[in-house]
Amino acid sequence: MGKPLAGIRIADFTAHAAGPFCTHMLSQLGAECIKIESTLRPDIFRKPHPVYGRMGPASFDQVSSNKLSVRINLKHAEGIALAKRLVAISDVAAESFRPRVLARLGLGYEDLRAVKADIIVLSVSSSGQTGPDSHFAGYAPLFGAWGGLGLLTGYADGPPVEIRHVMDHSVGLNAATALVAALHHRRATGQGQHVDVSAREVASSLIGEALLLAAAGAVPERMGNDHPRMAPHGVYSAQGEDCWVTIAVGTDAEWRALAQAMNAPQLAGDVRFATAKTRHANRAELNGIVAQWTKTLSADTAASLLQAAGISAHASWTAGDVVADAHLRARHAIVDVKEPDGRGRAAVGVPMRMSKGEEIGIASGTPQLGEHEDYVFGELLGLTRAERQALQDEKVIH
Amino acid sequence: MKQGAQNAPLAGFKAVLCASGVAAAYAGRLLTVLGAETVLLEPPGGTSLRREPPFLDKAGKVSALFAYLAAGAHSSVCDMETERGRSAAAALLSEADILIDDTPLAERERRGTDQAAIAARYPLLVHVSVLPFGASGPKANWTAEEINLLHASSEGNLLPNGLSQELFPDRPPLKIYGHFASMQGGIAAALGALSALWARPETGGQFVDIATQDAVLAVSAFAIQRFGDGSVEHRATRSFRYGGVLPCADGYVELLTLEQHQWTSFVDLIGRPAWALDPALDDSLERSRQGAAINLRIREWAKDKHVADIVARGQVLGVPIARYNTPAEVLTDPHERARGLFAPVEIDGVGACDMLVAPFHFDGGPLTLVGGPPALDDYLQRQPSARRGRAAQSGA
Repeated sequence: MGKPLAGIRIADFTAHAAGPFCTHMLSQLGAECIKIESTLRPDIFRKPHPVYGRMGPASFDQVSSNKLSVRINLKHAEGIALAKRLVAISDVAAESFRPRVLARLGLGYEDLRAVKADIIVLSVSSSGQTGPDSHFAGYAPLFGAWGGLGLLTGYADGPPVEIRHVMDHSVGLNAATALVAALHHRRATGQGQHVDVSAREVASSLIGEALLLAAAGAVPERMGNDHPRMAPHGVYSAQGEDCWVTIAVGTDAEWRALAQAMNAPQLAGDVRFATAKTRHANRAELNGIVAQWTKTLSADTAASLLQAAGISAHASWTAGDVVADAHLRARHAIVDVKEPDGRGRAAVGVPMRMSKGEEIGIASGTPQLGEHEDYVFGELLGLTRAERQALQDEKVIH
Repeated sequence: MKQGAQNAPLAGFKAVLCASGVAAAYAGRLLTVLGAETVLLEPPGGTSLRREPPFLDKAGKVSALFAYLAAGAHSSVCDMETERGRSAAAALLSEADILIDDTPLAERERRGTDQAAIAARYPLLVHVSVLPFGASGPKANWTAEEINLLHASSEGNLLPNGLSQELFPDRPPLKIYGHFASMQGGIAAALGALSALWARPETGGQFVDIATQDAVLAVSAFAIQRFGDGSVEHRATRSFRYGGVLPCADGYVELLTLEQHQWTSFVDLIGRPAWALDPALDDSLERSRQGAAINLRIREWAKDKHVADIVARGQVLGVPIARYNTPAEVLTDPHERARGLFAPVEIDGVGACDMLVAPFHFDGGPLTLVGGPPALDDYLQRQPSARRGRAAQSGA
């Protein structure tokens, strides 16, 4: 038994973060993912962008892991023909151009159906393929802004907050789910699909209950770290500089357990905090009391102590904490990846474990541009060395 | 009576949910809107999600969260603490393709839903476990809420940034609104379920172990790559060097110019002032170095502008700029209306309300929301012949 999506091939025209994250997930589940770029138009995330305040590439290594890389110049008519040959032997063509760009190149859904009748085309874009704003340009924080998630995130007395790369990647995770659903549809009906994922709508889907509230006439607002029911609920200062522990108390029993854990059993009988309703009404005072206790402990110590008492708690971890964690390592949620140049780095694995089949996850690191052309152009498409050389001379493979 | 849309991608599949948390319920919602028939197993009195705020009514009886998560699903009351309840659940599971279960590990054996028991009784069933830290590993028995999981993945520690961090540098890190982390767990669970289902002809049923922590970590991958590259991200330093959240006269916009042509177009948008025409600023590195000064200028420019005006003009020029929409603005947005992002559903005790359908279209149109949240135990009304999943129908 192989990996669950073994045998599925994806012609991957996606770039940036959202689309590549989708195909990265599918590749870890066993799909063969062929990333298509060119020297003239490499994935924009292969290079750094100083606006981020760093000079290293963003997430290219992570989302390109496991993929095969070929060069096809889509500005060249022969490049379009070559891309179609690749699509013809694929199950899925994934793209994240602005709407209608691929169609203008001759690689729209109908063009691709003509070469593979049951092809599934996945389009990931900021605002979807249709609608008055479909031409809008955008990146992760804009998706969050349009979708309402950004406005609702923030301190109650502050401005909205940018939702960063997690927004992109959530779009990719949604897209991967929709794509596998489309595969099931094809298996059941023999029909391909055009799957259109709108990033701003993914942002909206993550606040579905707030949108429903608004539809009923209410006005959802920013809440900071507050919860509409739980208290204590928040991020509390722990021992050490910039160290924090998160605590969420949902029931009276958990509140009594917290009071016990804090060596303050008298709090359990305090009328100000006797019920969920009064704890919530007096949460500012309560948060202060809890913070006085948490700052005497390391974040991990406080979390372990509270977990032992049945209370939801966890340290506020940095990337370094995550990478070193035995639990995440045991689950292969954090893995070590070897790059082609021999360099090792920590990477994030696929977020699931399966009881059957070959081990899923990252099997290979970042591909060099065009690294797998012998296999893809030679073995899969059957191009001879002379034919490939001619295409290189014509800057089709370029 | 609710049935999945006939042409929906997952039409014919059936899923059973044991969900008291958002992650498992959200996985069920995704499967439902994609066309599967889903049945929520509830204890007597209903799942605790029915009592979670926010509420749609003043009496606090109708949960907006439950309505959103359970839209289109059915409900079957099965008291898993009793033999009768377990037997009723078994009847449902024998017809199902997928079980999604967030019951704590320590309670599963007693309820007959532990991995071994399910595998033995239902060899074709895809059994998806959804827990905060997963079903294996040293923290498998730990409990967590949304805020804990955001921070267990490191994303929580990195928020806020940008303008909010500038204004409140000494406040604790900040969570994302709502149930962002739990929903990532739900999306991963749906993906895991469908992937295992895809492999079922070869593997038969299997156990899929989802940890919401893993899912949030996956979407936080950026910070882990940066760490591997030798850099540690911090909320105080990962703000965009220029742009970001801009307060305007009537709201906020988000601006992010990654590419040179986008910056050039932005300079056009702001009327080509002398400071922006400084040749030094043609270099993106120099813009990054002068980010603080640029932001002062940009914010000064934006503060008396109207959001709709600068977003419309900016997008025509190719500037990545967006309005920070309120929920009400999302609901009435002509773009989302044209795309059918919302559909009216009937909610007991409230009436018809517009609800978000799904963030994807199939073959040029939106999916179908087959109904609102289920009344408790509504599944009994279904005809037995309409209850069987694809595996039960084919015997495969």
